[in-house]
Amino acid sequence: MSFISWQYLIFLPAIIVLYWSLPARWRLALLLGASYFFYGFWDVRFLALVLATTGIDFICGLSIGGQRLGVARVLVLALLPALWLLVCHLFSPSLGVSAALVGFSAGLGIIFVAAHEAIWALVRENRPRCLLILSVVFCLAILGFFKYFGFFVDSAKSVLAAAGFKSDWAGLKIILPVGISFYTFQSLGYVIDIYKGRSPACGDFLTFATFDAFFPQMVAGPIERGRHLIPQLQAGLVFQETYIQDGLRLILTGFFKKVFVADNCAILANYAFDPQTTLNGYWAVMGVVAFAFQIYADFSGYTDIARGSAKLLGIDLVENFKFPYFSHTPSEFWGRWHISLSTWFRDYLYIPLGGNRGARWETLRNLGIVMLLAGLWHGASWIFVLWGAYHGLLLILYRVAPPLAAIREDGLSRQSAWTIPLMAAFTLVGWAIFRSPSLAHLSSWFAALGNWDQSVGLAWRSSMVWLVLHVTPLLLLQMLTWKHRDETSLTGLPWALRGVIYTLMLLLIISSAEHDTEFIYFQF
Amino acid sequence: MKRLVTPAFLVVVCLLGLAELGARVFFSSDITGRFSYGYDPDAGFNEHPDGAVELYRAGGRRFHPQSFMKKRPAGTFRILVVGDSVPRGPSFQAAYPWQLGEELKRRHIRAESINLAVPGYGPRRCQIVLRKILEFDPSLIILHVNDANKWEDEREWRRSREFLGWHPRHWLMKSFIFRRLYEAKLEKVFWRLVPDEIRLKFAQNDADAQVAASRDPVELEARIRLAKETTQENVALVRRQNLPILLITQCRLQGKLPDVQLTDHGLDDLAKRLVAPGVYHLSMKEALGEVPPMSVFSNYSAHLREFGHQFLARKICLLILANREALGVSPGAPAVAGEQPEAGSPRRAAAGRLDDRMPRR
Repeated sequence: MSFISWQYLIFLPAIIVLYWSLPARWRLALLLGASYFFYGFWDVRFLALVLATTGIDFICGLSIGGQRLGVARVLVLALLPALWLLVCHLFSPSLGVSAALVGFSAGLGIIFVAAHEAIWALVRENRPRCLLILSVVFCLAILGFFKYFGFFVDSAKSVLAAAGFKSDWAGLKIILPVGISFYTFQSLGYVIDIYKGRSPACGDFLTFATFDAFFPQMVAGPIERGRHLIPQLQAGLVFQETYIQDGLRLILTGFFKKVFVADNCAILANYAFDPQTTLNGYWAVMGVVAFAFQIYADFSGYTDIARGSAKLLGIDLVENFKFPYFSHTPSEFWGRWHISLSTWFRDYLYIPLGGNRGARWETLRNLGIVMLLAGLWHGASWIFVLWGAYHGLLLILYRVAPPLAAIREDGLSRQSAWTIPLMAAFTLVGWAIFRSPSLAHLSSWFAALGNWDQSVGLAWRSSMVWLVLHVTPLLLLQMLTWKHRDETSLTGLPWALRGVIYTLMLLLIISSAEHDTEFIYFQF
Repeated sequence: MKRLVTPAFLVVVCLLGLAELGARVFFSSDITGRFSYGYDPDAGFNEHPDGAVELYRAGGRRFHPQSFMKKRPAGTFRILVVGDSVPRGPSFQAAYPWQLGEELKRRHIRAESINLAVPGYGPRRCQIVLRKILEFDPSLIILHVNDANKWEDEREWRRSREFLGWHPRHWLMKSFIFRRLYEAKLEKVFWRLVPDEIRLKFAQNDADAQVAASRDPVELEARIRLAKETTQENVALVRRQNLPILLITQCRLQGKLPDVQLTDHGLDDLAKRLVAPGVYHLSMKEALGEVPPMSVFSNYSAHLREFGHQFLARKICLLILANREALGVSPGAPAVAGEQPEAGSPRRAAAGRLDDRMPRR
């Protein structure tokens, strides 16, 4: 189910009313049911993957924490995905879930149980590490198969073909499950935190399953940490009016960003990055600027709606965006853009690799590795790898190239008005890489920057007016919220002015209400 | 509960509520039939108790504001013109219905020529207007036959249904101001600023699909077929009332200079087949083919320049005069229509005998 669908506008209020009407002990069950319904609305078959990740990490988390579950319970939890697929197979043949798939899933569950029990037979000191590896291997295997299998097969075929070998075997057509990268990383982070002793294991399956599948943030983040979200789920919350006020404000801002800004900028960005479009310099620049605002408003809008939806349930989700286009350096940019993913990579990859504690070259190597993987996280394509590499290179340049390094090292004293446009320009080049459908198109985008002949391509002036009309309200909103360092907070403004601003935002949303464009980050 | 409703929230509710209420109370007549998009038979016609009929812009009908008596005054030759943006013209007085009144006036014929054309109206909605105006005692109905605007007709039908529908995705659009805002953004901003090529390629809504449809051969064929069917129905409808009807088949300018040509999509042949006692035909292609196309057409479409409207008016006038007995035109009637219209008064400009009531819009 999408946040911008009419179904969600009925689903959410219904859940809010039920949630606050129920006794605290029933609320988790409601949230879990609602979350599975929300996810299953897209494709019920893939609930099996959610159940698999949940079961594996619940068992491993407890075991790492030193609590041993009985074999029967482990077996039941490990077989949950197979049971769900069996239900699909028996009651909805049209879904195409075969008996073989059910059997395969059950087999994987049994292998997991066997591995888990074998690890428990090891000496105590080795168990946590092995259990962590078990969890990481299973979760990444699921992610790798559904997200990257086709990519690696295609790449292998290309390499073989280049080497002169025949490689015409047929690949599998695998549907990418919505949000798989998000919930897999969230679940992995939980297990790693237990292993590192940063948080305790959750002993209640209902709570953990709700944490893993919490519908506001399940499919596109923010990626939560167990120690932040699980205690909130366990707390018996008492209704407060501020939940509704803050939640509605966040949701309104999110819809404004998504429906008014992102979807309207998308019209120009889609044209500029269409492989058949003939670009000149004007369209190349306008297209990438449009995409920069599209992706920012799309993703931060999603986050705002997610945070608002959770807030209506009394739950705080972490901030994911803090005015990223006003960054002075790449490090600052990644501290403001998709913060929950950046911090995930920092805590679970960059620091374990050594972070900046080693020699200078090791720090640069770590940055490069992290950004390459961050690029690959976004999608199974060489374009995303290139985008990650580009940002890795930027991070490295801002550490080694003297004028750029000075900006980073001297901090605010060297940061002046020109450092923001410079970083914005670097970011735009990154978006051109990110959005280009192929390397060939990317090269034509760069080539267009050298061609300012207006007779090539469409007239650009009226489209520029369209872009300015849709970006200006967002920038005005950011000016008003900048003071509080919170993209959605209008605190401090007189209530009458806030009311007028909310009304204007609502009217702007309505004015663009019939676009049905999906969120970009759903595909990741 | 008290703290749930914040002052800022109240401002939002009050602003929107007042705007909605104000629109519905103070502009109720404008709203009448607004979301029927031309499918409300009475929208745009204000019939006063004293028998005067006033045309105004409402219900998706951008009539030129005019007024006339519902019952045709004795001895007056009343012409009612139905069609799309072509007969509606670049302005009221530049359009040929007004020019036709002037032509007849110069020939001492007491006449009323009422322009009931609405831009974007295709065969379906023209037929609804036609059914309505049969109540107004016409002496001659001029019906423009064109194959354009089918897509607009269908889109507006969908819109009218959506607004009435129960589906939750349309709930917001039940608000007048929300609906108008959405329409205004679409029509005044999106259509104007975003190039056709982009709308065509990434068709996201009706407006884009309209561009695509205009280039789709299957759609073109369907709209010609529809034009033929509705024209036959319209002729039958008018003839059942024993009223004369003049079919004006439109044509459009195509090609690039100097190889421009007029195309009628076969509408001339259709109209010629329908000619019978009481059914007349004038082909724009033939009538305007006598003069250089660029002097009468305003662009590469069916739209005419003012000179084109004057030329067409003269041709229609001659056709009426040639058939004056069959049409019942009183010979040598006093030229009541000969008064100059007051500047800026579209009602007075409705070439013919006009009542003294000033239009409200």
